[in-house]
Amino acid sequence: MPMTPDAVRRANLRALFAALLAAALFVAALSLPIYEFSATVFSKKSGNTFVGDEKYQAARAEVEAAAAERAAQTGAAPEIIETVTERTNSKGEKTSMVAFEVRETMRRTGWQFIASGLGCGRVLLAALICVLAALALLGAGLAGAMDVDWPALPAAKRVPRRLAGALGLAALGLIPVFMMCCNLDFSRQIKLAADGFPRPGVEALLEKLDGFLYGGTAGGDVLKLMGGVGYRAAWPLWALMALLAAFVFSAIIAADGRPGRALQRGALYAFIIALCALILYPYYVMFITGFRSNAETTDMYFQYLLPTKWVWSNLSDIINRGVPRYLLNSLLLSTGATIIALACGIPAAYAMARMRFRGKKAFLGFVIMSQMFSPVVLLVGISRLMNALHLNDSVLGLMLINAAFNQAFAIWLLRGTFVSISSEMEQAAHIDGCNTVTAMLRVLLPMAAPGIVTTLIFVFINAWNEYTISTVLISTAANKPITVGITQFSSFNMIEWQYLFAAALVATVPVVILFMCIEKHLAAGLTAGGVKG
Amino acid sequence: MNSIPIRHKWEPYLWLLPSLLLMSIFVVFPIGIVFKLSMSDISKAGIVGSWNSFANFRAVFRDPAFGTVMMNTAVWVVSVVGLSTLLGFITAMVLNQKFLGRKVARSIVVFPWATSLVIQASVWNYIIKGEYGNLNNVLLNLGILRGAVNWRATYQIEFAWECGVGIFVTIPFVAFTVLAGLQSIDEAYYEAATVDGAGFWKKLRHVTIPLVRPSLTVCTVLNIIYVFNSFPIIYTITKGAPANKTDTMVTFLYMRAFYDNQKGAATAMSVIGFAILCVCAGAYMVISMRKEER
Repeated sequence: MPMTPDAVRRANLRALFAALLAAALFVAALSLPIYEFSATVFSKKSGNTFVGDEKYQAARAEVEAAAAERAAQTGAAPEIIETVTERTNSKGEKTSMVAFEVRETMRRTGWQFIASGLGCGRVLLAALICVLAALALLGAGLAGAMDVDWPALPAAKRVPRRLAGALGLAALGLIPVFMMCCNLDFSRQIKLAADGFPRPGVEALLEKLDGFLYGGTAGGDVLKLMGGVGYRAAWPLWALMALLAAFVFSAIIAADGRPGRALQRGALYAFIIALCALILYPYYVMFITGFRSNAETTDMYFQYLLPTKWVWSNLSDIINRGVPRYLLNSLLLSTGATIIALACGIPAAYAMARMRFRGKKAFLGFVIMSQMFSPVVLLVGISRLMNALHLNDSVLGLMLINAAFNQAFAIWLLRGTFVSISSEMEQAAHIDGCNTVTAMLRVLLPMAAPGIVTTLIFVFINAWNEYTISTVLISTAANKPITVGITQFSSFNMIEWQYLFAAALVATVPVVILFMCIEKHLAAGLTAGGVKG
Repeated sequence: MNSIPIRHKWEPYLWLLPSLLLMSIFVVFPIGIVFKLSMSDISKAGIVGSWNSFANFRAVFRDPAFGTVMMNTAVWVVSVVGLSTLLGFITAMVLNQKFLGRKVARSIVVFPWATSLVIQASVWNYIIKGEYGNLNNVLLNLGILRGAVNWRATYQIEFAWECGVGIFVTIPFVAFTVLAGLQSIDEAYYEAATVDGAGFWKKLRHVTIPLVRPSLTVCTVLNIIYVFNSFPIIYTITKGAPANKTDTMVTFLYMRAFYDNQKGAATAMSVIGFAILCVCAGAYMVISMRKEER
């Protein structure tokens, strides 16, 4: 619906005003404290003393004086923490070692971050520049075209408005990057340097941190002091993100449309980004944990988003712990199960799709009913049956079980595919003298190839991921598939997380790639089989 | 007419034979064994005795843990199926829109479906484990938390996490079946509805939901069955601890069968499970088909 120039002008003015307001508030909010640090500003140890004796009193007085001096300097209220460790000295006397710490909560504003010259500060500066540039572009896009309706807008005016939105979005995305850089500057680099793997440039970083947190008073102690720094985001940081979102929203309105539409698109993208982040999160965990050292996986003071050192040798360790054998078993088991399931399923699905006979409905009912009985509930029966057939603890047994429990799905998917293909060609083949088998093999199957591949991959993946039956039926290590094999890394008393996830990663990646290949056909096949007569 | 001529009367049955044979041996036979065992005395060594007039069933109902386990199973099935259907439906609606990166988003949503449940469960087990778990790690690193949080303080919270993981891994299946239904809806219906002045909610209620109901029914029935029978998540994260308080029926019967060696009680529970599933899935199918006819 076209709008009158007047209405367009009003809408554009509103959008411009909202963008200006959001940008102004963003700049203003930068002068609020966005991070709170709980830092040690002074520390002293007093050895070989008793709590309350002269030496202790002297040390305590010194610490209190330092705290008071600090309080006078900054106006904050530092906290004195004392830790007492009792021990027996060489003469057999019981003495104490008292460690004093003056801790202070320090708040740093956005402008202080930008002025600090730290890596994280530069990211924040980049966000600020993005906002200002976006504002300029928005102005350029609106100037002289305030009352032109969006469809009639020339590209020279439309592009800057779009770019303004994109830059605003970039600024919004830079805030999480900023938080990660803070982690890098305040925690990861410090820990690496303290552990003896200093990164290049860490000297300069320490100097800047001294200036940023301790006003240049810490000198050579920065590294030690930084070891005990805790930090937490304060609410103005979230306010910054909200303001940037508001800015992007107003830029979208100015770029191409009505507020309702802009809100809808914004909500859509927010939902998708949140969903994808949530789904990818466990894979991120698998990836980074798979390459950590054992100590790091269970270190509760471990403070970084990435491994300190990528331990690629985890891969060779799991190879020595039998993982290739498990993978081979899984491959064998899944391939066998797929072949059996398709060899039995294709003829059945063909009969169901192309022939009319008594008992068709009964067979369909049977297939659906068999879905109701999951292998887990039947485990007792299955293990007894396999014992009787001498198939327990063998890959062949697993193949047959997996093939049988995937029959229903295979028949279902295949029948859906066959029904959707017209039988005219086969009928013609019959007239030419082909028998039913050749007609199916030569005519139908090539046409049904996409559906067959989908079914094939689906059964393969189901068999690959199966865990419960294998864990009951297989007791010999050499016959275990990968899903059971990886549980050796998580025994009751010790879990070797790094090996568990390295092996899990190796088992997951190929299957996920396979699944992505059939994603397009899978959903359609699922419902086609169920809904069509 | 999509059918082809048949030479002999018995030809179709010959085509069905391999499949029928495979399923009879490896599905029907175990079912028979389970039913027989559930009614028989079984010695500790596994030797099957005579019919014991439902003693196994009585033992199951007398078991004090059974009530908790059934309650957990109900919470597990209702919350996982219900919420994953709702969230999966929303995901499908979103993935059906046109937007930048739709292909990538669809490929990512399929990930949990393609991953083994043991692996998913192990990862989530690590994420919320103790103080060193990855959730604490990430939140501390980003400066959102100041101290480590115990994410599994009580068994109720642990069970809630398990339900959460269950929902997480079930969403893709629902999303993709509903998506297939959505893609088959003719755009003309929406255009007609727009002309009639229908808003988003009216279109959802009177066009979208009735038209995807067949796919939704299929996927909900399958979901009830799969979720009821889902084993690895609970087995990996809590193993039912403490004292069966986080067990569902399937993990409970697994423990009874293979840890406590009470095959009789376990098979009796399997039979109870079949009965419940048949009633639930059957009732759901009947109700939704009736709605469809209306």
